[in-house]
Amino acid sequence: MIELQDVSKKYPTGQIALYNVNLRLQQGEMAFLTGHSGAGKSTLLKLIALLDRPTQGKVLIDGFDISQLKQNQVANYRRSIGVIFQDHHLLSDRTIFDNVALPLMISGMRPADIERRVHAALDKVNLMSKEKDYPMMLSAGEKQRIGIARAVVNKPSIILADEPTGNLDPGLASDIMQTFQQFNELGATILIASHDQPLIERMGKRIIALQKVKGR
Amino acid sequence: MSKTKKQATSPIRSGVSQHKQAFTHSLMHLWQNPISTWITLAAIAIALSLPAGLYILLGNLKTLTDDNREVPTISLYIKQNITEQQAQDRAELLSELKDIENVKLVRREDGLRHMQQIAGVQDIIDTVGGNPLPHVLVVTPKMSLFGDSGVDLESLALRLKNYSEVDTVQMDIEWVQRLRAILHIAERVVLVVAFLLGLTVLLVVGNTIRLNIENRREEIEVTRLVGATTAYIRRPFLYGGLWYGLFGGAMSLVIVHSSLLFMIAPVNRLAELYGSHYSVSGLGVSVTLIILFCSSLLGLFGAWLAMAQHLRKKHLMQES
Ligand SMILES: Nc1ncnc2c1ncn2[C@@H]1O[C@H](COP(=O)(O)OP(=O)(O)OP(=O)(O)O)[C@@H](O)[C@H]1O
Ligand SMILES: [Mg+2]
Repeated sequence: MIELQDVSKKYPTGQIALYNVNLRLQQGEMAFLTGHSGAGKSTLLKLIALLDRPTQGKVLIDGFDISQLKQNQVANYRRSIGVIFQDHHLLSDRTIFDNVALPLMISGMRPADIERRVHAALDKVNLMSKEKDYPMMLSAGEKQRIGIARAVVNKPSIILADEPTGNLDPGLASDIMQTFQQFNELGATILIASHDQPLIERMGKRIIALQKVKGR
Repeated sequence: MSKTKKQATSPIRSGVSQHKQAFTHSLMHLWQNPISTWITLAAIAIALSLPAGLYILLGNLKTLTDDNREVPTISLYIKQNITEQQAQDRAELLSELKDIENVKLVRREDGLRHMQQIAGVQDIIDTVGGNPLPHVLVVTPKMSLFGDSGVDLESLALRLKNYSEVDTVQMDIEWVQRLRAILHIAERVVLVVAFLLGLTVLLVVGNTIRLNIENRREEIEVTRLVGATTAYIRRPFLYGGLWYGLFGGAMSLVIVHSSLLFMIAPVNRLAELYGSHYSVSGLGVSVTLIILFCSSLLGLFGAWLAMAQHLRKKHLMQES
């Protein structure tokens, strides 16, 4: 369960990205986060992923305030969630296989297990054939899917995705959404930021709309 | 959150495999950036060669001056009325003293025979009539040229003069004392040079690792995003520093020993001119190991400093 209590985020620049946000996502729920550009979607996901901290309020995961986590627990926590970034953040000098394997290597998993998991993840996003390629050899959509494979390879119980279909043509976009739905059916809690209104509406899931904070 | 921890990986095995990863990745990284690697290694090697070379030079000077012929001796001229047996007894008593290495009795007959070999001396002896030479005790004090052996030659000579059998004391040790003083300073110089160049190695490795960190900023960020701990992020860079230190140290040994080979022939020729069988010595096993150990440690520490600085900067950025 993900819960935000009176969360505000003011950036050092003075920009208020979020103001008094209250939100509750049940275990195993799938929801969409919408709002205009600058409404604070990415900021909200970053707070949940503990990539940044709220200036006010609390983020609770399964009832636990994640701001209480110590430094090495933060790393642990990040490994327990899967994050798909708006600009996929793949390592250009590593193969697709190594990119997807990264979270598992960090956990120090055995090579045989890593291989099995990476292949399973690549299979899910239909990119098994590209495992020996490098990111720059892939199309934008393929990179996005590799980002998804890396996010799910650890079998996280929470998946956060920031514009995962931003660069994709409509057909591929709905394929990706189907993939998320499958993970959701396996029990993962999923929160996806997107402003592709028609696509979101077709999914028939809960939609959370953020509004841009006026002024400063 | 407890439900999210489902890996059955044991912490020990995962620790070992993470070290293996960092070990191979850091080596691969050196291999993949040959130019910067060689430049760094050369800088480290050259910095280490100088103190190592000076150390060898000093070591050789030490053995050179340890050569028996070169050790200072004190000659005690025994009074004419003392018999050979009495002189011999005194010699044995003296050699028991703790600051005396050995005492050799040169009988007046031996001294004479020795003198007669020198051209023209025979005539002088004939004019004098009889053997004018006294028995002589040649005393070799216990001392080394390195460090302070605690032997004060002046006071030793004074004490020896006080024995009733002794007529006069003669020592030719001024040059030894000067050499000792010079070597003493040289030893300090080597220490200072070693310290400064050790610092250089630290800075070279630190700066190289800092550049590596800069170049791999993206990688560091991404691994952090997907849940790497600080230790995980730091590890390959620490290994990198260790490799720089170790390989740089090894390279300096190669430099030092090839320079040594280059110098052996002329040194031997010089030694021959002096009729000595002196042979140039290199670095012993223990010194070699110490150099490798220290350079590895310097590399590791340099990398650690660079990483600490990076992490601090990162921390400040997040805090602000
Ligand atoms: N690191 C930052 N420093 C300062 N201001 C920031 C930072 N990140 C975001 N902001 C500001 O906070 C507000 C919310 O940004 P955010 O990226 O969360 O919006 P978004 O809803 O994800 O927009 P988009 O749909 O364009 O991705 C914006 O006004 C943005 O300028
Ligand atoms: Mg955004």
